Amino acid sequence: MKWLACLIALLAVSCKSAVQSGTSTALDGVDLVRMTDDMAARIGSDLQVNQAIQVSGPLKIVVTPVVNQLRAEVIPRGAANAFTGRVRALVSKHAPDRFIWIMNRDAFYDLRSRERQLQIDAGPNPDTVQPDYALTATFSSLGDENRKRREQFYVCVFELTNIQTRALLWSGSYEIKKESVRDFLD
Amino acid sequence: MKTKCNNIRISWHGFATRICISYLRLSTLIWGLLILAGCQQSKSFKQGESAVRYYFDGDFPRAIRKLEPLSQKTDENYVLNNLRLGSAALTAYELDEAEAAFLRAWEVINAGGVNSGGRAVAAVWIDEKLKIWKGEPYERALASFYLGLTYYMRQDYNNARGAFENALFKLRDYANPDKDRSDYSQQESTFVLAHLMLGRCQLRLGREDLAQQAFDDAKRLQPRLSGLAEPAIHAESNVLLVVDFGYGPRKVTDYDGAIVGFAPTPNTAGYLPKARVIVNQFDYAIDGLNEPTLDTIAMAQDRRWQSIDTIRTVKTTVGTGLIAAGAGYGIYRGAKGDFEAQDAAIVGGLIAAGALLKVTSQADVRQWEMVPRSIYLLPLKLPPGTHDITVSFPEMNGLHQSWRGLVVPPTGESTYYMRMNRWWPGPFSWPPARVQILPEPQEKK
Repeated sequence: MKWLACLIALLAVSCKSAVQSGTSTALDGVDLVRMTDDMAARIGSDLQVNQAIQVSGPLKIVVTPVVNQLRAEVIPRGAANAFTGRVRALVSKHAPDRFIWIMNRDAFYDLRSRERQLQIDAGPNPDTVQPDYALTATFSSLGDENRKRREQFYVCVFELTNIQTRALLWSGSYEIKKESVRDFLD
Repeated sequence: MKTKCNNIRISWHGFATRICISYLRLSTLIWGLLILAGCQQSKSFKQGESAVRYYFDGDFPRAIRKLEPLSQKTDENYVLNNLRLGSAALTAYELDEAEAAFLRAWEVINAGGVNSGGRAVAAVWIDEKLKIWKGEPYERALASFYLGLTYYMRQDYNNARGAFENALFKLRDYANPDKDRSDYSQQESTFVLAHLMLGRCQLRLGREDLAQQAFDDAKRLQPRLSGLAEPAIHAESNVLLVVDFGYGPRKVTDYDGAIVGFAPTPNTAGYLPKARVIVNQFDYAIDGLNEPTLDTIAMAQDRRWQSIDTIRTVKTTVGTGLIAAGAGYGIYRGAKGDFEAQDAAIVGGLIAAGALLKVTSQADVRQWEMVPRSIYLLPLKLPPGTHDITVSFPEMNGLHQSWRGLVVPPTGESTYYMRMNRWWPGPFSWPPARVQILPEPQEKK
């Protein structure tokens, strides 16, 4: 009987919840941190970006949510804002005097409506400040799925573009392959 | 008969009796656990089922209220309850709630190895219902479709496109592993709906080339829907009605509950009618565009035999064998006239073990009850402003649903979702009232 009790205890312990178990091919929090840390570091140290700052002073940049060009994956609104939003937060933390960040109109009004609740400053109204540059991100992927596995190869491109001239000031990309193997009960 | 084991002579009869008595104790313990598990399962499962009843009664606030706490429980019904919640919220036009619920379900459906480890062992040896339910391939495809539809209704076309593409991936589970890719298109032909919606998304995203490709795929896979796969129709339309009609297949069991099937079959379910659209009391010319885009009853029949089906079948067969052996042994000993207490233990042990195997070989018949039998895509071109729109199925005893004041924007498009139900004919007013989600009152014991 002892072995049975042990077996049941083992089963109970190893029965994870629906969200604890399994592996997903979606971009997750770890990717968010790695990717945005990398991008923020690259923007801050980029030669051309620093030259542009020397020439015209702090760059006025509008941040837009991620554009989803993924195959068979979605990027919910929160996540789409988080990827570019974290780059903004990191860069503005390390170089507050070199960049003026302007939110895109939708995000600004969304944030302003929750200003009191979140106790943060939404920054200048995008209608009153004309940005010079746009920080955009486009996520693309090659994806496939069959009965045995699902895989996605992501290419996440971040770009800092001059809004007036359409000239690309800076570009960085992050690539990652994700795979999940399916069990016989999946 | 005597047997020699480590220099200890044990009576075979006594040895067998001890094993059977131990089986009896073991069986009692497992039976007890099963009953306990069953009680726990049935409580939350009943709550889910009552929410489904509220949904079909048209009481969406109550259905949502019941399903919300269940959808947060990350148990084996997590995906199922989130899909149920998504359906209820979508029908009530609570799009935030619908998106969140479908997304929670989607994440688990797309993940691999969700049922690995202890859960797999428990599902195989104790009860298949202990596995985290992810649905049949047609249910997974529809989960992606409804997530995509939620995005599409909010004009988030990039995410809608991603979800519709994922819907097509899900049907690959039906494909024959030996044929693999060549079999995919055959399966996709049952879900041309996703190609049509993909085409619409690409049009809205300004990718006419990709839209043309999606519509061409739709035409090639399902020539019956070639009228609906004309890019010009979708480019010009500024209103899309997405109409759910009928009820999906029911999961049924056979062979002592161990083998799963679906009822009714396409032959017995009856034909799918064409839809009629009335705008401001006048018939809207929609001939050729009012065909059903899919038949979930036919899709469900493509279910493939899985390893777990084999395990259940073997368990129930062995169980039947043990019960028969126990009964046979009892009859044999009784006929010989020397049926003793030890024989009773052997008979009891064999029958209990057999019954245990049979009980634990019951198939999992959980399913997403809100799945419709078919979905109609009705693209309309209307002047901007507000319109009263009725969708009816005259061949189905006048089944219809009416909405007053549906808004057609001056630019872009609007998408409306309708779930046909005999008990909700309307007329409903646009915009629908927000659902007040209050905590469910405690039920009296």
